[in-house]
Amino acid sequence: MEPNTPRKVALVANCLLNQNAKVCEGARYRGLVSPVVEALRSRGYQLLQLPCPELAFAGARRWWAVYEQYDTPAYRAHCRRLAQAIAPLIERHLRDGDEVILIGLDGSPSTGVRFTSSKPDWGGRPNRPQDDWEIVPRRGVWIEELEAELARRGLPPVPATGWALDMGRFDEAGSRRDLEEFLDSREAAAGSRSEDSAAP
Amino acid sequence: MNGDLRGWRIALVPEKLVNPQPRAGAAMLDVLGVLEASGYGVLQLPPLGEHRLLLAVIADQVAEYAHHGYAVVAIGMRGEPGDGLHWRRLAPLLRHRGVALPPRHIIRPDVDAALEGQRLTKLLASYDLPVAEQQRWRL
Repeated sequence: MEPNTPRKVALVANCLLNQNAKVCEGARYRGLVSPVVEALRSRGYQLLQLPCPELAFAGARRWWAVYEQYDTPAYRAHCRRLAQAIAPLIERHLRDGDEVILIGLDGSPSTGVRFTSSKPDWGGRPNRPQDDWEIVPRRGVWIEELEAELARRGLPPVPATGWALDMGRFDEAGSRRDLEEFLDSREAAAGSRSEDSAAP
Repeated sequence: MNGDLRGWRIALVPEKLVNPQPRAGAAMLDVLGVLEASGYGVLQLPPLGEHRLLLAVIADQVAEYAHHGYAVVAIGMRGEPGDGLHWRRLAPLLRHRGVALPPRHIIRPDVDAALEGQRLTKLLASYDLPVAEQQRWRL
């Protein structure tokens, strides 16, 4: 690839490359989430792994939680620190004109993109599988703070979707379909942009 | 852990090995493919540059893993400054957090990719924490 050729870059949730970051009982793969990696690499995307906010804040042996439990000033400050750590790399790609997308983790209280988990009155002793929570259409706390940091830098919103790992019952085939549709839509958008720029 | 499939092993990997660039006349080892087949997760290191805060964030994560039963290895790339591992900055950050430095395995881009793949696979298969440590954490 020529040095000045725009690249395709996928920001990926930490646990999509490392399932060891998942909450206890939440890992569905040994290490990499191979369907995501294969889908992105086969379409020419470079990978840029985001930090895992929950691991460094609540630890490797943390319980599962919902959005409201992480919606605290201290956790948001922690997420802002992580966002400030990774934002310079994202900013460089965007300023260089690279195509940047974000693949989060739908259903996650932190990394959800289309959906997060919600239960305002949750607390106390976890009790799986009796515990119930709702899936609501909203960003997770980490994605909210990351997008806010990019906006503070005057950067445009990054097209985003989520791999639906934390939606209750995990449906790999459905998740793969969703991701492919999203990537198809990005290719269609890129195609129409290049046609516009080629028009007289 | 009930139904949990995590592999308990993680590799620190330079950006250039996560996103290998095609080289004229030479196949490049697919490190992510080898790691996936070996059941390892990846912590991606940034490209060349300062990245002080990001390296501190990564060191925090490595410390959390190292203190709770996870095996961490570093995979470098020969020909890159510091093998692409930011070791001069990362090593003191890890020591400061009470982490024994992970073993380093260096990929040689000028060597046949298949042979390098076999060498990496062998290292990954043999590397883990002592059994007593595994039993302590991996319930």
